[in-house]
Amino acid sequence: MKSTNEHEFVVLIEKNQNLIHKICRLYSNSDAEHKDLFQEITIQLWKAYPKFRGDSKFSTWMYRVGINTAISLYRKSRRRIKSFSFQDIDYKIPQSEPYDDSKDRQLNSIYEAIKVMNDIDKAIIFLYLENRTYKEISRTIGLTEVNARVRMNRIKNKLKEQLNPNHE
Amino acid sequence: MNELKRLKKDWKENQKFPKISKKEIYGLLHKKSASVVKWIFIISIIEFSFWTLLSLIFKDNEAQRRFEQYEMDHITMPLIIFGYLVLIYFFILFYGNYKSISTTVNSKELMEKILKTRKTVKYYVIFNLLFLCISIIIGIYIELNNSPDINLITSGFTEKEDYYIWYSIILVITILAIVCITALFILWYYLLYGLMLKKLKKNYKYLKKIELDIE
Repeated sequence: MKSTNEHEFVVLIEKNQNLIHKICRLYSNSDAEHKDLFQEITIQLWKAYPKFRGDSKFSTWMYRVGINTAISLYRKSRRRIKSFSFQDIDYKIPQSEPYDDSKDRQLNSIYEAIKVMNDIDKAIIFLYLENRTYKEISRTIGLTEVNARVRMNRIKNKLKEQLNPNHE
Repeated sequence: MNELKRLKKDWKENQKFPKISKKEIYGLLHKKSASVVKWIFIISIIEFSFWTLLSLIFKDNEAQRRFEQYEMDHITMPLIIFGYLVLIYFFILFYGNYKSISTTVNSKELMEKILKTRKTVKYYVIFNLLFLCISIIIGIYIELNNSPDINLITSGFTEKEDYYIWYSIILVITILAIVCITALFILWYYLLYGLMLKKLKKNYKYLKKIELDIE
């Protein structure tokens, strides 16, 4: 029975793996951190899987667990995420995007600005980029809807300030 | 804000990530082998500390003091040093197993490392049991040759048969002592490591099944 569950879970993760990658993209600064976070999120999802009852979409549930894992890891080790080497997987994060400078300097600056944001702001902007409504954002992160809106506005202003051409 | 629109567009389009296969995801979930191997390492250290502490507590007891009077350090010291060196070697192996297993994701390699860990634990237990038996035999030998009480008994022997009977009794007692103590230690090791090895075996079988299913 357990193995059927596991198989089902693995299939779902394989299908929705981009969602985890996207969280990793925002919360990690290197390939190694990306891989570690991917692993940690997958393990946390597996641990939480018995509680997933299917009353929400699998992807919505993944957002919640994934973001919370990223946030708690980020808080636990402000320095760096504990490093497990993943060399056994032929697993290379394409360096061209979004870490690439040459492609689009402005776009790159936005990503850089997001990278230095705090854990909650990162989660908000992530869900915003994923086209989630404020209601969903607030539920996923555990904020009130008003608070989520206020924070998003602040993020927009912060980004505007940082991307102000006068600073260039 | 135009920048955010561009960002959103880029975010949507820019989704080229490395594809993680089902097999690799299974490998990620079976990281629990790493935690079992970690516990094997921790428990071996705790066990070692337990015995060391026990020997320190009983350092000053009567039997120990009498044994020291026999001045058999040229036999006991190399034995003790050899024992400690081998134990340290095993701790290094346990730690190495733990370190390498926590950095393995590839399930085939994970399986190999599980087998390696099981083998290390088996050798560790066999070494401890053999060392225990050898120590008992050496201990009894030293006691027989040096104990004043025993000398008193054997000095009264006049017939050859007396010696035969005496040494037969000693031999039977030695064998019985070895069997009983070894049995107790086998139980001790089964409780300490056997259960963890079972978990590893279960995990190994599962990984093997997945390998076959997915191939």
